[in-house]
Amino acid sequence: MRTLFRCLGLIFLCSVAKESTGQVRRVVIYDDAATELHTPSPFTQSKDLWMTLAEFTRATGFVVKPQGVCRSELCFPLPKQREADFLRQSGKVTRFNLSEFARLVKQPVAHDEKLETWCFGPRQDVQNGYLATLDAPNFTLPDRSGKSHSLSDFRGKKVLLITWASW
Amino acid sequence: MPGWQIFYHELKDKNFEIVSVAQDTGGVKDAGPWIDKANPEYIALIDEQHLVTKLYSMVNVPTAVWINEQGKIVRPNEVAFVDDRFKSYSHMNSGPYLEAIRDWVAKGERSFFILSEDELKKRLTPVSPDRLMADTEFSLAEYLYHAGHGAEAISHFKEAQRLAPDNWNYKRQAWLLSDADRDYGTNFTKEVQKLNGKPYYAPRQMPEPANKPN
Repeated sequence: MRTLFRCLGLIFLCSVAKESTGQVRRVVIYDDAATELHTPSPFTQSKDLWMTLAEFTRATGFVVKPQGVCRSELCFPLPKQREADFLRQSGKVTRFNLSEFARLVKQPVAHDEKLETWCFGPRQDVQNGYLATLDAPNFTLPDRSGKSHSLSDFRGKKVLLITWASW
Repeated sequence: MPGWQIFYHELKDKNFEIVSVAQDTGGVKDAGPWIDKANPEYIALIDEQHLVTKLYSMVNVPTAVWINEQGKIVRPNEVAFVDDRFKSYSHMNSGPYLEAIRDWVAKGERSFFILSEDELKKRLTPVSPDRLMADTEFSLAEYLYHAGHGAEAISHFKEAQRLAPDNWNYKRQAWLLSDADRDYGTNFTKEVQKLNGKPYYAPRQMPEPANKPN
């Protein structure tokens, strides 16, 4: 019970802190999922999106390693001579420049300045990947009652995929 | 939807599935009542983020893709009406299309209506950087709308529409979420008039079943 109260207290404190600084929380949308960043960037003069390494991994699933920026089998080496464009130290904290990384891997970015929200779209090679194999791109979506279904659940059957809309 | 239910009922025991996906940012609130009314036996999903529009480069509804047992595309995006209620927009009969699906379900890869790999690759083209940027702007707008920032979403919906001018989904969805005349200076009726005889739906490139060899 005491733990519960402590947690509630913390949540309360956090929300007050947010109100009092008046700062908009930065939001990153990556692979169609939104993540809030809680640590402000000290590089206020930069138009780019800098975040702590922990936040970078939480938002994108990528990890900064000696061999590059990696997610499971996939690794993007950072150009050695331009490492400072991607990684910057401030006190004890290293920050990563996701905007620069998006430029490196040719990923589109949409940005709302006022609401400090960044949306990263698919890389061109990912989006067009199915053209070589003709594999129908998979997706997972909810039905009317919220139950998830994936297109791949129907492998073994012929599928007529139809889109419609209420509008 | 009720039309597709009848059609599905006819074919459902032939290793055939319909996966219908509502492209509705309003989610269950907007698409739910239609699904309830039709109460389909087939799979009816709701896609608030328009993921399927983006993944399959769709520009309109209703649009359908044929996918075989191995998960391969055998006919890409094309207009897919189950009846002729909207023929004034589509200028196509639904009958031959339904006949073609029946043929595919019965004959599989021997069906006259399956496209060759070469033909598929000709029809499925890589998306342009502008298109990808349009998708990204639309995703941002859709997120902002859901986060309670409908007014701020408008400029991003507009940017998506500017970068993908052929995408009716991006237009009609955004118009529905606000007062189209006030916020976008246009509306569906006006935009359709501007087509000035140009087809609203890309004509289906499908031979008539009557012409197929026996």
